[in-house]
Amino acid sequence: MAVRRIDVREKVMAKNDELAAQVRDRLHTHGVPSLNLVSSPGSGKTSLLERTLDALGERLRMAVVTGDVQTQNDADRLAVRTDRLVQAVVTGGACHMDARQIFTALDEIDLGDTDLVFVENVGNLVCPASWDLGEDAKVVIFSVTEGEDKPLKYPRMFERSHFCVINKIDLLPYLPFDMDRAVGFAREVNPNLRFFFTSALTEEGMEDWYEFLIDLARAEGETRLEA
Amino acid sequence: MHELSIALDVCRIAEEHVGADALSRVTAVGLDVGDRAGIEIDNLEFCLEALLGSAPFGSGRPEIRRLEGEELSVTYVEVEDDGSS
Repeated sequence: MAVRRIDVREKVMAKNDELAAQVRDRLHTHGVPSLNLVSSPGSGKTSLLERTLDALGERLRMAVVTGDVQTQNDADRLAVRTDRLVQAVVTGGACHMDARQIFTALDEIDLGDTDLVFVENVGNLVCPASWDLGEDAKVVIFSVTEGEDKPLKYPRMFERSHFCVINKIDLLPYLPFDMDRAVGFAREVNPNLRFFFTSALTEEGMEDWYEFLIDLARAEGETRLEA
Repeated sequence: MHELSIALDVCRIAEEHVGADALSRVTAVGLDVGDRAGIEIDNLEFCLEALLGSAPFGSGRPEIRRLEGEELSVTYVEVEDDGSS
């Protein structure tokens, strides 16, 4: 039987990118900046958000979309710290979040009454790098217990991130972690990364992170006022 | 790890181009995959072999061209003519 070839030339994930563009449009229309927090499991994403909500909750109206794989645990931890919008997305075992989930989650968020949106992605330094969620920037978090060479092992995630939080610095006295090496490896992969050095447990270094978030929200808010 | 999601999107694209009724007659799906696409190509090929070789597909197979760069696209679908056109 004859075989017919149909030319396609269609990008895989084009649907995701289309939805991500719509997410970006919706956020920009309301002048709301968004950060996609990505990391390996256990780096402290939820703890960082807990501290941030505690510290800035009265100054910024923050919404969080969480991507816990199998439980509501992360969303529950965050929900007790804010009456603001926490929309849990349980990914059912998937290794990443996609733009459709964020698009749907935004329906539950009053963007006109929001200064900043966080996405807490699934703990995984591989797959989430490939999925545009419509965020303004990825923030890659890695902790000092993970070793300095994380950026070399997972270069794509560090390449695609704008910001890097090195967390759990309160543990530095007990570990053979070389901060200069870690930063050097990350810069080798992405020279444009901006760093924050934090302990979400003791709050050491968190002020820089807070100031960054306030400036980010203020800059976008001014854009919103001008629009 | 996300190759199955990618493979499912490839199947969706194939269906859009040949129609649901013709999926069982798909013989091959061509893809371009770059070495920086964030894809484990052998894993993707395995997923596609499983999906294209079972219902609603029949005995299709992936034909992957490995390239440099970040390309990740479906380039063609081959389908057996059913003699109706």
